Amino acid sequence: MSALFDVLTENIDEFGGGLWVTARLVGGAFVIAVIVGTFVAALRIGPSVWLRRLGGFYVETFRNVPLLVLLTLSYAGLRRAGLPIDPWTAAIASLGLYTAAYVAEVLRSGVFAVSKGQIEASLSLGFSYPQTLRRIVLPQAFRTVIAPLGSITIAMIKNSAIVGASIIALGDVLKNARIVQSDTFKTEESFIWAAAGYLLLTGAATLVFRLLERRFAITR
Amino acid sequence: MQTMRWRWLAALVLALGVLAVGACGDDEDSGSGDAGTTSTAAPTFAAGTTMKKLQDAGEITIGVKYDAAPFGVKNPTSGEVEGFDVDLGKAIADELGVKAKFIEALSDNRIPFLKDGTTDLILSTMTITAERDEEIDFSEPYYVAKGRILVKKSDNDIKDVADLAGKKVCTALGSTYEETLKKQAPKAKLSLVDGYSECLELIQNGGVDAESTDDVILTGHIIQDDSLKLVGDELTQEPYGAGIKQGDKAFKDFVDGVIAKYKSDGRWATAYEKWVGQYTGEDQKPPTMTLQEALDLSK
Repeated sequence: MSALFDVLTENIDEFGGGLWVTARLVGGAFVIAVIVGTFVAALRIGPSVWLRRLGGFYVETFRNVPLLVLLTLSYAGLRRAGLPIDPWTAAIASLGLYTAAYVAEVLRSGVFAVSKGQIEASLSLGFSYPQTLRRIVLPQAFRTVIAPLGSITIAMIKNSAIVGASIIALGDVLKNARIVQSDTFKTEESFIWAAAGYLLLTGAATLVFRLLERRFAITR
Repeated sequence: MQTMRWRWLAALVLALGVLAVGACGDDEDSGSGDAGTTSTAAPTFAAGTTMKKLQDAGEITIGVKYDAAPFGVKNPTSGEVEGFDVDLGKAIADELGVKAKFIEALSDNRIPFLKDGTTDLILSTMTITAERDEEIDFSEPYYVAKGRILVKKSDNDIKDVADLAGKKVCTALGSTYEETLKKQAPKAKLSLVDGYSECLELIQNGGVDAESTDDVILTGHIIQDDSLKLVGDELTQEPYGAGIKQGDKAFKDFVDGVIAKYKSDGRWATAYEKWVGQYTGEDQKPPTMTLQEALDLSK
């Protein structure tokens, strides 16, 4: 058992540094995912058929390209095309835009989860359409999507491991664990601590989303 | 009736899953099919030895690089892996009278592969070091490479290892250069990737300023892209050894025997000329460095 903890304490710089890189990476990507995801969801439920198609095109593109391909294209591809993008920008943008496609789909389904009858009732009671959206539809939609957004966030944190494994090669949790593994030859120990690192981040995300759910829960 | 249909569907999905897993079992075979056919009377070995086990199995699994031309590289045309390491692997398989099966071993996973039995032998441009010798056993050195630095021809800033300070330098995760660079160029920013093909991509797209690894691998890059050049003096000497599971003395002696024969009967020189000499224009004799000297070098 002590061998396990020795690997952690003797390589705390690598593990800590990796955790910090992954935390910044998923933090940045989360912001992009929520902003872009909301925007795309708005396009998808909007009144114009062309905007809806544009939103659909975004979702299908980013949801159907493997993240590793996206990372390689956004870094090596853009650099070769003459745009000297730096590793962090490529990594955060890829992970964020990829996740945004899933966020958009969840938000859209949340809006559609509010029954049409409620909207008709609201309109017939004299609420305007924007009022109906703001007071009836969105509050319920928001509550509905908290749990799936939590799942997406957790998936994104785990997906971030692909960044370190890609050609971008940022020193994230997994990459640094592999560096420790190659320095010490302690394979199980290194990867157990990598797992613990991801668990720490996903655990924190789980906690935040559980609090949000409790805060905004409605008894049905 | 509705639930029955669901059960059929679930069973079908499971069955397909099982089939898929079964099919995955043997499609790793990327090695040469002809390796075992050339040998005639293979020697017999005592029961319980690794050699006997391999002969019973009819094949030896050897971990090689797929992206380290000219030692181990997957030929895009034939789909077969080839190179100096691959030829030596075939020679060892021939001596046993078995088929050589080559799988990809990265700098980062080759020692775990050997420990967990995924491969029986490692021939992947692996430098003999005292640190690695704690984990696995090495054969006698079969090649001595030299550590160098590769930059773009247009780069006039980097002339030697001292100029790497503040520059981005690529090498493979788990290679000896990870440590060499940390020691000789502590201020360099390291990009640690899985294989040297990624370093080549990074140096070409400007993601890194330089790459450091064995001269033979860097020469392979220059063959692919002549806008690159080698700079500076030798950083290190890198004696390559075959990786053998820790404590398997009999198998180590066997591999050492094959390597000694390979060096003395002219096959080494043929392989050298075929894979290295014709590109570098340098003549080289089989290495005379011993395993002990190689280990001392790394201390």
